[in-house]
Amino acid sequence: MTCHELDERLDDFVDGRLGDRESTQVQAHLASCASCRERAQQLRRLLAHAAALPRGVAPPQDLWPGIRERIERRSAWAGFWVSWQPIALAAAAVVAALAAFLWNGSGPIAVRTVAMPSATPSLRPAAGTGTSDPVLAEAVRNYEQAASALLETLQRRRAVLSAEDLARVEANIQVIDRALVEVREALVKDPESPELNRMLVATHKKKVDVLRRVVHLTTAL
Amino acid sequence: MEGPAGVAIGDARIPMAEDQDRRAAELTLVRAAQGGDLLAFERLYRDNERKVFGLCFRLSGDPALAEELTQEVFVRAWRKLASFRGESAFSSWLYPLTVNVAFSERRSRRRRDARIVATEDPERLERTPRTPTPEAGFDLDKAIASLPPGARAVFVLHDVEGRTHEEIAALLKLAPGTSKAQLFRARRLLREALAS
Repeated sequence: MTCHELDERLDDFVDGRLGDRESTQVQAHLASCASCRERAQQLRRLLAHAAALPRGVAPPQDLWPGIRERIERRSAWAGFWVSWQPIALAAAAVVAALAAFLWNGSGPIAVRTVAMPSATPSLRPAAGTGTSDPVLAEAVRNYEQAASALLETLQRRRAVLSAEDLARVEANIQVIDRALVEVREALVKDPESPELNRMLVATHKKKVDVLRRVVHLTTAL
Repeated sequence: MEGPAGVAIGDARIPMAEDQDRRAAELTLVRAAQGGDLLAFERLYRDNERKVFGLCFRLSGDPALAEELTQEVFVRAWRKLASFRGESAFSSWLYPLTVNVAFSERRSRRRRDARIVATEDPERLERTPRTPTPEAGFDLDKAIASLPPGARAVFVLHDVEGRTHEEIAALLKLAPGTSKAQLFRARRLLREALAS
């Protein structure tokens, strides 16, 4: 066996992976070659050294506060989704009840693109708000402006959200937007209905509340 | 004859009983943590932080990054805790998670790179953990850190952690032959460092 052949087998030899015949050949070569014997001893020292390294190493500083903070941040999101669920279910129920107009084809987080239903001029809501009541129309415009500003903020901060949270925000905003479309549809047919007008304003308010809480949570990330 | 045999049996049983007690206590903590008890999870962290940090430190070769990776491991462990059924020790359940985070979390590396530039405590980056070194004058951990990432990971898992090539192949998603080639490469580089 040459020194080169030994070199190719040395690791397997030291690891006990060679068969009897090759192992005997290696041992014979080591007995007669001082430099290869030194290499083998060097490898054994290295492996003994590595095996003696402590598996556990103390971190230079306490890492728990950072871990706890991240877990609690996640918990804040989890709590948000739990509290949001009934709202989403209620909005989804409105949509389900008026399934004929379920989907307007708009993209995610696109409050400005909510499609107004076609309507006769006499029944058209004031200034695209969905309601003919001027006081409520003003309230709806204010909510829409607030929602738009919050959505812009959210778009800027979307990078800090996990893909999962972002998808949930977008999906739920779509649910609420669909509910708004449904209420507007109903108002076209019954513009004086106090219940529908209240529902319109309440749904806008709910959307702003939800967006405000989402944006607030993103600031903590 | 009966007396000494009984003692021997007793001696043999003591560590087993202690181990069972420890596992039972650990499982109690895990169940509490699965129910949302953060204090219980902190105790699990305290029991495992050195092992996890040690592995992250050696696999990454960077103490500052190892801190970040250790945090990531425990945050992920918290999220995945429901999947721990208590069939193995908690540390065994953490092991593949730690290897996965430390070996493949490239996003963490990018965040680390950004943080090094911005850190207000540059000395912290110098606080490399020191471990006892049988070979005077040779810092093996420092030499391991200088290895190429693939060779370093296999050397750490095989020669420090005592894992087989088959286990390493499964953990790192490599062919066993690749694991072996990386190990021999790492050893050769370390022998050269040891000789210089």
